[in-house]
Amino acid sequence: MPDPNPLLPVSALGVYFHGVFISLTFGLPVAIGVMLWKWWRTGDRDYYRAARLMTAVLGVNFALGAITGTLVEFGLVQIWPGVNLAIATFAFAPLALELIAFANEIAFLILFIVTLGRVRPPVSMAILALYAAFAYFSGVLITAVNSWMQAPWGTGPVAKALYPFMPEYGPTAVDVPKLVAVKLAAVVTGQPISLIVEKPGVAKEVGIVLKDPMVAMYSPYALASVFHNILAAILIGMAVATAGWAYRYFKTGDAKYLKIVKPLAGAFAVLFVIQAPIVAHFMGEMVVEYNPTKFALMEGAEKTFTNPILGLVAYGDPNKPIVGFDQFKQACLSHGNKTVGDLAKALGLPSTLQLAGKSIDLSGVASVKLADLCLADVQRAEAYMPLIHATYYTKVAFAIIGGLAAAVLFFYFYRVPGLSAIATAIAKLLGDERRRVFILALLLVLGTVIPAVAGWAVREIGRKPWTVYGLLYPSELVTPVPYATSPGFLAVLYLIILAVNLGGLYAMYLVATREYKFLELLKRGVGQSP
Amino acid sequence: MNEAVFVGFVGLGLSVTLHIIFTAMTLGAGLIAALYRWIAYKNNDVWAELFARKAFKVLIVSELFSGVWGTIITVFLAGFFTAVTTLATNTLFIPISIAIASIMVRIPAIAISWYTWGKISPRAHSIVMWIMALSGFGIPFGFRAIFAEINHPQAIGYYLQTGANPGWMAYGNPLFWTLYLHTVAAVISTGGFVVASLMALEKDPRGVRVGLTFGFGLLTAQLLFGPLYWHSLGVYSPLLYQAVNSTFLPIFAVKLAAVVALLALGYTALRAAKAGSIAPHVKFLGPLALFVVALGEILNDGARYPNLVIVGDKGLPADLFANFYMDIPMPAVNMILAFLVLSIVVFTTAAFYALYRKFLAEVPETE
Repeated sequence: MPDPNPLLPVSALGVYFHGVFISLTFGLPVAIGVMLWKWWRTGDRDYYRAARLMTAVLGVNFALGAITGTLVEFGLVQIWPGVNLAIATFAFAPLALELIAFANEIAFLILFIVTLGRVRPPVSMAILALYAAFAYFSGVLITAVNSWMQAPWGTGPVAKALYPFMPEYGPTAVDVPKLVAVKLAAVVTGQPISLIVEKPGVAKEVGIVLKDPMVAMYSPYALASVFHNILAAILIGMAVATAGWAYRYFKTGDAKYLKIVKPLAGAFAVLFVIQAPIVAHFMGEMVVEYNPTKFALMEGAEKTFTNPILGLVAYGDPNKPIVGFDQFKQACLSHGNKTVGDLAKALGLPSTLQLAGKSIDLSGVASVKLADLCLADVQRAEAYMPLIHATYYTKVAFAIIGGLAAAVLFFYFYRVPGLSAIATAIAKLLGDERRRVFILALLLVLGTVIPAVAGWAVREIGRKPWTVYGLLYPSELVTPVPYATSPGFLAVLYLIILAVNLGGLYAMYLVATREYKFLELLKRGVGQSP
Repeated sequence: MNEAVFVGFVGLGLSVTLHIIFTAMTLGAGLIAALYRWIAYKNNDVWAELFARKAFKVLIVSELFSGVWGTIITVFLAGFFTAVTTLATNTLFIPISIAIASIMVRIPAIAISWYTWGKISPRAHSIVMWIMALSGFGIPFGFRAIFAEINHPQAIGYYLQTGANPGWMAYGNPLFWTLYLHTVAAVISTGGFVVASLMALEKDPRGVRVGLTFGFGLLTAQLLFGPLYWHSLGVYSPLLYQAVNSTFLPIFAVKLAAVVALLALGYTALRAAKAGSIAPHVKFLGPLALFVVALGEILNDGARYPNLVIVGDKGLPADLFANFYMDIPMPAVNMILAFLVLSIVVFTTAAFYALYRKFLAEVPETE
């Protein structure tokens, strides 16, 4: 099998940059909507100007989000072509629906940009809401696809057959023998799955693998992930917008900027209350239920242990122990002397597969013990424990900081007896008003960005050694093309990714902070006095 | 061809055609905008600055929508034609990488160019504009290699026979260079005609003249590249050539007639523009040029039906490469196609307001 390791970091880099831009794409519409609402209700054009400036930033940001999304999509198709089999099956419905979302997202964004200031605020708000609806729908669908890789819903007991500690992933919507046959063919030939899938006529030869094309859409894991990820992205975008305006207030002391920060901080706090204690909890429950190794990595459970608080949060039972890797290993040993050959026989697979015009002899792997395979993978997962455990608790710590900052800022702005007095006392510790508002807004950014960055790391690295949890390794999905891992190609790829994304971030900064210098020239050009 | 494969084929064709229409507008208009932005910077020419900004509006409005259809193509390909997508990514890795790298540079450069215009130094802005314009031509440099290969699979044939990645071999495909040069000339010509149409609506005779110079000038270049590509199809992809000249002959004839009309009308309009006036028919030249682009793409792709790949005088049917791993839910697919049509309506409305009603402000921050 080709070595996927050089390509994993570059994929992660692309995904992270995409995450940065998507967060703003999701959060800025809420911030712009708040400004349009205030403009509509008060007639104060400062809110309109703020909406307009954020729309300009959204324009650059959207382009970067779209392009990094394209990069991720091409990355999937080109760098990890094995996922084409998933795109043709489980991911087909979400990605097909994504076409609706993406096309309309852009159409309504352009409509919003060109009509902003030309139509009444409620009309602009309605167009913006339609844009945001399609943008969030896009997020729902892409999250569903990612969630399928975290918890391959519809594959029923396939993963459990190899890893006895795994749960069942929903109804069995797959033809298990065919799925296993494709996997075994890749293992036996030592070739990535794409080399099987690419053969003309092989799809007809294999036939129906998935019986319910919509199955990935009703995964409970996806449902929790959708709310968790989208709310997190909105919060990041809003935090960045809030901090941007707070910085302007800090630098100038102009009260009009404080006027903009106040409603943004209010909306942020409301959304944070929904995210942190409610939605994040449901997400955690899904990880406990469907990603046992990931949960153990998060909690550092080398060995099974009891912790009443964790037990209560994770299982609703303070006495239930946190399952550790010792129990996973025990579960692996429960296979006894069963082999891959026994599994193939139980599924009715012949000893020689006929696939893509080739005879594939399974005897090479038939004698491999299931327990050995299972133990090897569990040990590979366990190697990530220090990283995942530290990353997860960093995420938790910063989320708490963000929550506290949101609460202080909210009660500082909005008078609530008792709480506002405490918030004001805390805020006063940070210096004068300009300084305290800016520092609190900055903590909102740290309290959302760091949990999101760390959260994605836990989500993605935590599912290793698999790309599709419990089913497929990165080496089975990676491109077989030798150029892909050559130093030259990787260097160019890194260079382009960094140049485009860092350049884009700088451009957003320029758009947000610089005045136009050429107005006079243009006005002269169109016959107006400068 | 079963229903799902047929819908996939038609949907793919629709997506490619729409993508190419918008791409032709953006690549050509982008080049003109970059050139005149540079002239404005070099000569401190106010008119050139405004003209470049107006030409750029064409691109700003249409680029992201063209990108959407590019994404739609990818999903159609991977979802409906899994084998051909996987085969292409494994075989044509280098051309696809070139296209992706170009897209990655191009789209952010467009957004940066638009929003930093007047906020950074003219020199720096001109450089960004050139990066934006030239990177655009890297996209067909990558993707046209795929089109050349599915019409005459030279590199793919080598891969299937030897199992070795063909690297740069796709650029030795005898169909590639004629197709690419044909494409480059076509997009610049189309961009020129579209800009000329917009300038006619803006009643800017100098802008009309510039647009027509590019439009008509590059159209005459097409008189060389078009027949050359047609001839090379006859030599290297005879089945496609025969289909163009038989089943698809009516479309081919309409295309040739439209090209002749574009030449004649473009010539008279350019003469009028050189004399300082705007011919009344200039505003129709942009749509006519786009019509020619659409017909060309229908001929290049539709004439392959029911095949997806042509190997000399043999065709490899779409069924061979199609997704049979599940029963594709056709009601869902039809609903998706309906929503895509809705997006076209919304986009056209936005484009109308942006271009014809001048809703896309020249100076975004002014009230």
